[in-house]
Amino acid sequence: MEEPALVLEDLRKTFGSFTAVHGVSLTVPRGSVYGFLGPNGAGKTTTIRMALSIYQPTSGSIRILGKSSALEVRNRIGYLPEERGLYKKMRARDIIAYFASLKGMTAAAARQRADELLERYGLAEFASYRCEALSKGMGQKVQVLATIAHAPEFVILDEPFSGLDPVNQQVLEDLIDDLRREGTTIIFSTHIMEHAERLCDRLVLIAKGRAVFDGTLAEARRLIPRRILLRTSGGPERLREVPGVVGIERLADDQFELTLTEDGEPDAVLAACFQNGLPLLAFDRSEPTLRDVFLRLVGPEEAAEVLA
Amino acid sequence: MRNAWLVARREFTENVHTKGFWLGVVTTPLLLLLAVNAQRWLDSSTPTRAFVVVDPQGLYVEAIDAAIERLHQREVLRAFGEYVSKHAVGGQVPSAVDLEDTPAVDVDKLIEQYSDANPAAVDAFVTKGGVTMALAMIKGQLKPDAPAFEEPRRSFVRVQLPAEIDAEAGTAEVAEALRPWLRGDRPISSGEQEYELFAAVVVPPGVVEHVIRPGGIPSQPSTEQSVQFWAANLADTDLASEVERAMNDAQQRAEFARLDVDEATVRAAQGTSVPLVKLNPTKAAGREQVSMADQIRQWAPAGFVYLLWISIFAIASMLLNNTIEEKSNRLVEVLLSSITPWELMTGKLAGIAGAGLTMVGSWLLALVGVLWWQAGPQAEFARSLLEVVTGSGLLPAFVIYFLLGYLLYGSIFLALGSICNTLKEAQNMMQPVMLVMIVPLLTMVFIPKDPNGTLARVMSWIPLYTPFVMMNRAAASPPAIDLYGTSILLALSVVFTLWLAGRIFSVGILRTGQPPRLVELFRWLTRTDAAA
Repeated sequence: MEEPALVLEDLRKTFGSFTAVHGVSLTVPRGSVYGFLGPNGAGKTTTIRMALSIYQPTSGSIRILGKSSALEVRNRIGYLPEERGLYKKMRARDIIAYFASLKGMTAAAARQRADELLERYGLAEFASYRCEALSKGMGQKVQVLATIAHAPEFVILDEPFSGLDPVNQQVLEDLIDDLRREGTTIIFSTHIMEHAERLCDRLVLIAKGRAVFDGTLAEARRLIPRRILLRTSGGPERLREVPGVVGIERLADDQFELTLTEDGEPDAVLAACFQNGLPLLAFDRSEPTLRDVFLRLVGPEEAAEVLA
Repeated sequence: MRNAWLVARREFTENVHTKGFWLGVVTTPLLLLLAVNAQRWLDSSTPTRAFVVVDPQGLYVEAIDAAIERLHQREVLRAFGEYVSKHAVGGQVPSAVDLEDTPAVDVDKLIEQYSDANPAAVDAFVTKGGVTMALAMIKGQLKPDAPAFEEPRRSFVRVQLPAEIDAEAGTAEVAEALRPWLRGDRPISSGEQEYELFAAVVVPPGVVEHVIRPGGIPSQPSTEQSVQFWAANLADTDLASEVERAMNDAQQRAEFARLDVDEATVRAAQGTSVPLVKLNPTKAAGREQVSMADQIRQWAPAGFVYLLWISIFAIASMLLNNTIEEKSNRLVEVLLSSITPWELMTGKLAGIAGAGLTMVGSWLLALVGVLWWQAGPQAEFARSLLEVVTGSGLLPAFVIYFLLGYLLYGSIFLALGSICNTLKEAQNMMQPVMLVMIVPLLTMVFIPKDPNGTLARVMSWIPLYTPFVMMNRAAASPPAIDLYGTSILLALSVVFTLWLAGRIFSVGILRTGQPPRLVELFRWLTRTDAAA
């Protein structure tokens, strides 16, 4: 089996007396879409910068695309930093071609690729606009294209969705989807849980410089008990006998929350409702959201900062 | 290496595409052209000045007319010289002219004499037949496509007093009556032409009694007793001085007669002089004579110092701005995920040096070009300057000191740029640097007077000042130890500064927040775990 795209082991970074990252370990398998989730200042960007050898870690080890330093595999990586900037005076196509050529593409190939990408993501007519004439969202798209122009096998996007309107967010999601289909490994950091939910195969939750969870979405969901929301005019007490149900809590007059074990079957609960002739007003068996997972893992105060 | 080249190319292209760059390229030659030609253009744009002389007794009017005519003939002679150098075969008039019946005057020699503003040459030119004779002399030597010679416009023309003014009416009355013309309210006509009256010279009848003589009781004649020069334009003093000189000449001639002194004897006595040559001991035997070129050679380096200073700081500032731009919009992060800080830094240094050299090169080309174009036999200054600029080692020295100086200051500015987040922060940091930088500009004027003195030598050994001070001393053949020693020291300092700047740059460029304090900077330099 191929080595993972990125393996971080007990990575630590201190700036003077301040510790930004306390021993983060994680593994990003090849071809996966991997989410970095966490509040601002949690250490996401610092971790990414260390992975890219922009910062030297204080301690810990890095394996990226099989090498110990990103500098050795620079041309196979694409990186979009959190803060956005383009050369104001350069034309959109030139800037994409420039970054691609810095990654080792020949000038001609880089130009051709720039035109191709602009065409594909609906920016063809802006190809010869200077960056200062582009809108913010447009500039951001250009920057994303510049990141992937050299067809990297590993793409790292730091907060790619921030500042984009819903339409452009969708364009970016499609782009990530395209990359995934082509087999690119993608890391993106975000604090928008819905994006992570829709796009990620695996994710890591970082809070206060520590990785509090690293695994698949399903694993994340399993961290918190499954719940069913019931609205009924009758008494749901007898549902306790259904295997897997571990608790029933009355939320309001006719609202109850059932807690299930990991392998508890919501269908069995529903069947039991009918058997017992329970008059159902509502039966909501929604999966726990990442939001819930997040809340549980980092605590309400930290979460409020992110989810607000 | 390839990446540094890519960065350099981008920096070069971007800078070359700015308006400022082209302004710099174009305006300097234009200014230069303007400076060299200002006098001529000013002359040709000044209208012919008309003036009246109110001299009922006819004391000075003839002398003034003669002086104005001579002035004009001088112009004609000068124009003729230029005409010959432009349109005669070989640009020179052969000294043996095959015209039996022309007086034996060598035009070539006349022109040469004119360069020294020799009045005798002008007089000879006029008495021998003026421009008509001269044209006849060179007829055979003109190129076939030569245009006809055009006599320059007269600078001054004396016109008659308006008919309604009575010249005999008395000084005050005449002057009063002339006011509307002198103020430009009424034009004055002379023949077909109409002029604005530029000046009026009013000679009071009794002026001869008030002539000032040395040795007499010093008395200041009143306005009424003096010759009055009326003119609204106070800036153009040419006519006033010409008139004054002519009247003094005439008066002095009258004085010779009064004192019964032979004028010719006095003139001849005044014309005697002791031969004097200025020699330069540092030059080869037989070539010690100090020429105009030598004097220019003494001072030209100061001009180059100024050019050096301007170009180094203009270009190094470009570097600073550009680094701050990349830093403030975090482009550096993208760049540094692709290339090393060292590649980025060298690329920027090289790219902007390229843009800067292009600009400075265009200036030098323009300088040599303008001088070459202007350097006729008449323009000895331009010719000598051209000779100095191209013939002595000044140009190569300039290029070498420019490159070293640029690398030194460029790397300092880059390091500064990398630790600042905004232009404002950078400007604050720049203040002490500016103070240090201004020194060679201040000493620029003193150093040529004592180019190998203590101040010059001491400053030469301070690497920050080496390029400027050594450029300043370039013409004075400084001792070899200074010439090579300081260059080696400068080159070593450049290497050291580049290394230092590289360390600061690689840490600073990703840093946000307050610029670091000195202690912190020192820690960056000594730490080994800084990102390479």
